[in-house]
Amino acid sequence: MFDQETLTAAERLNKEWAELLEKIYKSKDYSSKTNSGIPVKPYYGPADIDSLDYEKDIGVPGIYPYMRNNYGIHYQRQTWINQPTHGYGLPEHTRERMDALAREGMGGGYTGGRAYNLVWDLPSYVGTDPDEPEALGFVGKDGVSCNNEEDFELMLHGIDLTNNNIVLINTDTIPVFAHFIAYADRMGFPRDKLRGNTMNWQFTGWFFPSMLWEPSGGLKLATDLIKFCCEEMPGWNHTNIEAHAMSEMGANAVQQMVFAISTAMAVADSCVEAGIAPDAFMPGIGYQIAQCNDFFEYICMFRAWRKLWARIVHDRYGCKRPSSMHLRVHTHTSCYELVAQQPLVNIIRSTLHCLGAALSGTTAMEVPAYDEPIGIPTEEAAVLALRIQQVVAEEIGIDRVSDPLGGSYYVEWLTNKIEEEGKKVLSQIEEMGGFVNAHKSGFFVRQCRENAARWRREVDSGKRTVVGWNKYKINEVQIPKPFRGDPETRRVAMERIARYKAERDQSKTDAALNALIVAAEKLDKEGAYGVVMPAAIEAAKAKATMGEISRTLQKVFKWGTQYQPLNTY
Amino acid sequence: MGYERKPKLLMAKHILDGHDRGVKAAMTIFRDMGIEVVYIIFRKPEDVVEAAKQEDADIIGLSFSSGAYFEIIPILMDSLKLNDMHDIAVVVGGLIPEYDKPELTRLGIKGIFGPGDDLMRFADLAAQVAGARVS
Repeated sequence: MFDQETLTAAERLNKEWAELLEKIYKSKDYSSKTNSGIPVKPYYGPADIDSLDYEKDIGVPGIYPYMRNNYGIHYQRQTWINQPTHGYGLPEHTRERMDALAREGMGGGYTGGRAYNLVWDLPSYVGTDPDEPEALGFVGKDGVSCNNEEDFELMLHGIDLTNNNIVLINTDTIPVFAHFIAYADRMGFPRDKLRGNTMNWQFTGWFFPSMLWEPSGGLKLATDLIKFCCEEMPGWNHTNIEAHAMSEMGANAVQQMVFAISTAMAVADSCVEAGIAPDAFMPGIGYQIAQCNDFFEYICMFRAWRKLWARIVHDRYGCKRPSSMHLRVHTHTSCYELVAQQPLVNIIRSTLHCLGAALSGTTAMEVPAYDEPIGIPTEEAAVLALRIQQVVAEEIGIDRVSDPLGGSYYVEWLTNKIEEEGKKVLSQIEEMGGFVNAHKSGFFVRQCRENAARWRREVDSGKRTVVGWNKYKINEVQIPKPFRGDPETRRVAMERIARYKAERDQSKTDAALNALIVAAEKLDKEGAYGVVMPAAIEAAKAKATMGEISRTLQKVFKWGTQYQPLNTY
Repeated sequence: MGYERKPKLLMAKHILDGHDRGVKAAMTIFRDMGIEVVYIIFRKPEDVVEAAKQEDADIIGLSFSSGAYFEIIPILMDSLKLNDMHDIAVVVGGLIPEYDKPELTRLGIKGIFGPGDDLMRFADLAAQVAGARVS
């Protein structure tokens, strides 16, 4: 990349620097390692990136392989979507928080509407209705208890579903999606104009230890949903690759990138096998990516990821549409690095993570509230989290220049290095036989747990500073009042579901659930894709609960804690 | 660690609770301390008591990321009483706000280990409880 004169000068200056090191610093070694273990020097120069080709390896924003940005013009036109996760209590409680955050500037989207990033409670994550005994203590605690399409009306009434993004965060996607569509149908919104996201974590979820679908069966369910979307809801973002949760479990920057790409390839391969055109399904796959400490490493990871993914989509899947090749990202800044001691300091940490993601050119973002290690965010803390993004987006000039760190010797070197390291791990996974084998063998879980244990030891020993935890501690214990939901939540949810079941035509519900079994068998035994989702929607319309839909699918597709890899502890 | 008898800890997480980064890290650290650790996933609080009986555990450690402790702990404590297991200590870890600690202590919880808390405290508690159960 550089002419001989520059390289010769650089070599000479590097030698002078080495002499400085000897004379002043007594040849002490000041190299270090990034958080993922990549050795780095005290400074970088032209020689470190000379082997890169400007056109192939760096390029410009908006041109394949899109390393510098998916779009030729991005923040100059509109900055990323500010879309925090929210959801708790009953649907009407969540609606209060939705409206409050919208008033404070949440979620302005690219098409003029808003994004509502809604999270479901833990019982609904695992096909458990609120009236079941296991749900005691969990109803509406970590997400909304929205259990059928009537509840959807309580939560979404008056919201135009063709002009606002509704994100359905729930591991058990099919039942919640079925009820959402049942609600949308009833309200008269055309399916092909609905906007939003489902998670489609049917075949993964090893990062969320609990109960799982057996991954091969889960892949069929995920592919069925994608086929249905490609046919009836082409604007819908059907699949979210949850790299953030992998990071929270312990994955470092390289691992997060590669485990996620491997996951995406698994579902993409499955779709190809199912006969769905890659350019039809690929744009609906999006990533949820963690931005963590080691400020520069995560920016370089993000850039490397864009390049790696675009190349895979182009070369392996033969896609032609730019939107297929784009790494579509929702950034979820780091949670595990936030601390309960001196919690206001988390605002500073999250600001830096937000800045990192902004410098990386992300498309959407959520930043946790400072009380993340304490509980559900209070409204005050949630609004402050919005303000972090608003200050970064609107006050510091981040929207003027795309990929402003492009061309930095360090950033280009580290981006390239992360891509190299990533390719090594991707090969490792291919050698294991791909995603499903790696998942089942516990490879992902083991790597994450080892990293998490190493991180914890470094913190406990003081080797890794965490301000307020192992350094700069204060004696006075701060006692912020945690957020409390309505204690009547469970009782009301149980009453509603009892009434829902009592008022339905049970014979219709039973018939619809039987039809769902037939569809599930067709998917499992005959490879008929796109049949389960319609049957699930009919079951929702026949007033089957989300738990009933889930348990019906479990009659055909294996499910349980035994599919959690490394189930020995 | 000089224990009179090697303490045995039963760590338990509710099947809906999910996030286990903290409890897994804690288990590694407790094992390093010379404590025998068994981990179970439970559906009902009574399952934990049954497992503690079978394992002859000295301490039960519950991990919560979900805020479900005020529903689950009273049932568990009642079940321990019903089973005459008075000398077993119950501790909790996870996302436990400072604000809730007094009430947990009132319910009979002998140790609370939230994010950033010093896990070394657990060693003393373990020695004390295991020692008391021998005598």
